[in-house]
Amino acid sequence: MTPAAFLSDHTFVMVTAGTTVIGGVAGALGSFAYLRRQSLVSDVISHAALPGTLLAFLLLTALGRDGRTMLGLLIGATVTGTVAVIAANAITRHSRVAIDTAMALVLSTLFGLGMLLMQHIQRRPLPGKGDIQDYLFGNASTITRADLTVSLAVGTLTVGVVAVFWKEFAVATFDRDLAGLLGFHHRILDPLIFGAIAVATVIGLKAVGLVLMVAFVVTPPAAARQWTRTLPGMVIVSALIGAGASALGAYLSIVLGPVPTGPVIVLVLFLVFIVSLLLSPRSIVLAAYRRRRSPALP
Amino acid sequence: MIFIVSTFLLALVTAVACALPGVFVVLRKSSMLVDGISHAVFPGIVVGYLFTHDLHSPWLILGAALAGLLVVAGAEWLRTTGLLSGDAPQGLIFPALFALGVILVTSRMSNVHLDTHVVLVGDLNLASFDRLTVGGVDIGPSHLYVMLVVLTLNAAFLAALLPPLTAATFDPAHARTLGIPVTGLGLAFMFLVSVTITAAFHAAGALLVIALVVAPAATAHLFTTRLASLIGWTVAIALLGAGAGFWLAFASDTATSAMMAVIYGALFLIVLVATRRGSRRHRLR
Repeated sequence: MTPAAFLSDHTFVMVTAGTTVIGGVAGALGSFAYLRRQSLVSDVISHAALPGTLLAFLLLTALGRDGRTMLGLLIGATVTGTVAVIAANAITRHSRVAIDTAMALVLSTLFGLGMLLMQHIQRRPLPGKGDIQDYLFGNASTITRADLTVSLAVGTLTVGVVAVFWKEFAVATFDRDLAGLLGFHHRILDPLIFGAIAVATVIGLKAVGLVLMVAFVVTPPAAARQWTRTLPGMVIVSALIGAGASALGAYLSIVLGPVPTGPVIVLVLFLVFIVSLLLSPRSIVLAAYRRRRSPALP
Repeated sequence: MIFIVSTFLLALVTAVACALPGVFVVLRKSSMLVDGISHAVFPGIVVGYLFTHDLHSPWLILGAALAGLLVVAGAEWLRTTGLLSGDAPQGLIFPALFALGVILVTSRMSNVHLDTHVVLVGDLNLASFDRLTVGGVDIGPSHLYVMLVVLTLNAAFLAALLPPLTAATFDPAHARTLGIPVTGLGLAFMFLVSVTITAAFHAAGALLVIALVVAPAATAHLFTTRLASLIGWTVAIALLGAGAGFWLAFASDTATSAMMAVIYGALFLIVLVATRRGSRRHRLR
């Protein structure tokens, strides 16, 4: 397929532009989850987003609006996603349960709740209720111009908030105690940071689905970290990797025939990560070579 | 055997089979690794199904469990490179494997009957339909016996290797000096977890099986510290949560696995609040 033919097809352009925005936003904001050493909160958020989107759907249809508008989905999912992460962190503070177990508990409970809600919705004659499959796997070819505008606006807004609170975010990410000493309120900062990570995760819910969004948040920062050692560098490289891999993945999924877009992007991201691990200046290959040159002390 | 009773038994056996290794999953802080395994099992099942065309085949369960082990070994390898921080190593491999599974299902197998919904969400009643008959007598769903075998395997593994597993869990460095193969033992244990998760997906679904593994042990861990009582309470909570979840789902005609996950979460919350109250009163005295 020639690039001209590709660009003249509305759906192809929407899929590529939409996933590129998703990849860029998730990559940039995912850096904060990575640097907090809690990359997997994105997994908790994506599962907790299911009841959030469904509650938003029920509320919107009750008000007589379209239940599956992008903005409604995003707000509902961001709220439950943020609440889930805060709940998991609260459980570890108030008991001897470790953070990974608390995350697993919150994730499974909220996802279970989402499935019960889904069943409830399925049994009612509501317009555009969709199937559980739509939420689990998403569908990139359903991205509309309005969806793209909303994702772009929400993404820009969230990245803007991060830019405004850059200093606070940086200190809270690297040294929580120092942030407290400096008088930053964790009660305000934590929800902001987790909310930003939640936006990064749920922005791709409709196109990529909740099971695979975790890769969009975890993989770009892990790859970017191999090439850079500063926070601004990390956020920028991670955003570029996310956006670039998404654009390439979207293109490949269209050119290679009917293959779902989200999974192809995830595989491209994984490949970028592996290449970064092997070829970056900190690379394992180089390290092994150096070790052979000068054997480490026993 | 009456259908509803045998399905109830299947729910209880599945819950206990998952909860038993869950004790050490929680103690070893591998709960989110279980989430990774349960996602990776999906492509394992897809590939296994391509070969066996039978979702109940033991070969399919073993093959899928190997995919789960790939996540464990991969995360361990990524961790030892020292190039990644936090829990990122656990979150990098399973999405790639899951993506592979989705691509396989949508492209190669579009003409093969594999209901992704059943694999991901699970259906206890469907799992109960395949009956085992001995001499013309219906002795319950064949999957009940698969889960009984898994339960026996888990119990036998824990009974035989409890002391070294405990040592390797609480003090790996000390365990190493005692000559316990800590890494090998950990991998063997996680393989067993992987087998359990794969076998349980019929009843619980690949996405909610993590609740069956983690929740009972986490709840018991809130109020017990001794290993023996932790194991005992974990089994008790698994039976209570699965039992209550099953009948509530039956009464309200909803998905059993989802209801069980919600009941488990509610049980944890109740015990958390109760123990917090108790400890505060204790401190005041």
